[in-house]
Amino acid sequence: MKKLLALLFMVGLYVALVVPLGDHLRERPLNVKLGYTPDARLLKLVAGGQQTILAESMTLKVIFYFGTVIEHWIQQEFVQPEYFNMFKTIEAAAILDPYNMDTYYFAQAAFTWELGRAKDVNRLLEHGMKYRDWDESLPFYAGFNSAYFLQDYDSAAKYMQKAAEVSGNSMYTNLAARFFYEAGDSRMGVAFLETMIRQAKNPQVKRLYEMRRDVLLAVQTLETGVADFAERFGKQPTELEQLVVRGLIAELPLDPYGGQFFLDDKGRVRTTSKFTEKLAVEPDKGE
Amino acid sequence: MNGFWVVLIAALRGFLRDRVLHALLGFALLLLVLAPVFSLFSMRQVQELSTTVALSAISLTLLVLAVMLGGFSVWRDVERRYTASVLGLPIPRSSYLLGKFAAVAVVLMSTSIFLGFVSLVSVHIAASFYPPDRSLDLMNFMAAIAACSLKYILLSAFALLFSSLSTSFFLPVFGSLAVYLAGGATQEVVEYVTGPSAQSLSNSLITTVKGLYYLLPNFAAFDLSFQAIYGIPLSVEGLLLTFGYFLVYTSLLLLLACYCLARREFP
Repeated sequence: MKKLLALLFMVGLYVALVVPLGDHLRERPLNVKLGYTPDARLLKLVAGGQQTILAESMTLKVIFYFGTVIEHWIQQEFVQPEYFNMFKTIEAAAILDPYNMDTYYFAQAAFTWELGRAKDVNRLLEHGMKYRDWDESLPFYAGFNSAYFLQDYDSAAKYMQKAAEVSGNSMYTNLAARFFYEAGDSRMGVAFLETMIRQAKNPQVKRLYEMRRDVLLAVQTLETGVADFAERFGKQPTELEQLVVRGLIAELPLDPYGGQFFLDDKGRVRTTSKFTEKLAVEPDKGE
Repeated sequence: MNGFWVVLIAALRGFLRDRVLHALLGFALLLLVLAPVFSLFSMRQVQELSTTVALSAISLTLLVLAVMLGGFSVWRDVERRYTASVLGLPIPRSSYLLGKFAAVAVVLMSTSIFLGFVSLVSVHIAASFYPPDRSLDLMNFMAAIAACSLKYILLSAFALLFSSLSTSFFLPVFGSLAVYLAGGATQEVVEYVTGPSAQSLSNSLITTVKGLYYLLPNFAAFDLSFQAIYGIPLSVEGLLLTFGYFLVYTSLLLLLACYCLARREFP
């Protein structure tokens, strides 16, 4: 009987500890969750033939970490992710396992839009292309980054050509033509995001792409409204609300990130949500 | 029946009764059964992740088996004074050692065949959840598991060599683990010190590294995991060279182990 009581007491004590411990760990700072990644060359030396699983675990660690960040964003709470640490980990994973598609897919999803590291991502994609020579996705991503973020149309054409050659699918050359026609236009971003949403398997990444697309669509609607206003009344609107008052749009679209759209001094559509400014209206021009 | 077969069969019986071995196989099976679940975390390569998990589980299991069976089998016989009775029989010491080695090799090969079969089922289940762009290349997968087995058989030969030298289990166990880590790094290290980024290194250091490169086993040759996971073509020449390397290196280790055991004095 005493033993049973002691056992029950210990189990009770365990439950009393494990619940607050779990809460404490969930609340720890995000950078503590991601942790430090040693140099990839050192990891390669000590991996002892386990480098593929090590690379995958590093990529998954970053994916899970970024998933918690996206959860905050969905709840319209801005959290600054440890982008530098994330990219370093992803780079190390790509060195350990240069064939791992999760690594390149995640780099494309996380580091181009908000962070504007299209040049770095393209460097990583170039690294992947040397190994995954059968995969058209990598040149397709690099081609989009070159055209949309870097406005480097020569490189974009080369990448899209490569994607078409690898896949034997002329869709990529058609897409390239469309991208160049709509260069600098938010429609180019929407076309790319629609492709990525169709391919996305991870629900959080899919949601992130959908949020980005919704922002771009909202900006597209407002830009069209501003252009119509200028054409009809011979002057730029001073506030976006004028588009509604004049019946050019039914209502102001919502920013999925929780911000409010407004017109800046130069008459450009902007949003108050800090982390979508670059995403929504000012594609990165590269470094 | 000559001494080699007697020792081989007796050692195999002993290994099959070993509960630690059963627990280890149970753990490996659990990992393989869970591999399809783990692989669902992948965003773009579910089949590839399940193959990665399966190959890693097999590799880790074989590592523990090679170190445990290779490192403990002779040492335990000496510790329990079994060697006094066994070697009192008209069995040459070399037959005793080679019998032990063959038993370890049989266990490692059988384990890899069994776990390889379970892995195949596991990978196919994972692939059914999310159809891959490229289906699993069966030949590459089997080649990777076979190469993995050879790698750990070679490591077990090291463990037996250390067992034939040492009076405690520290050298066989930790020595084999050190050889495992060093053998996995030699190719990378030698490529670094002979590459353009290491021009500031002294010649003596480069010579030492090169010397160690040829002395230590090169386990990079046995790593066909990229070929198995991503369906990258195998090089027949590379496979033949690796197999030849395995035969020669293992034979040298066993010759050395037999030589050491023959000169050892037992209590």
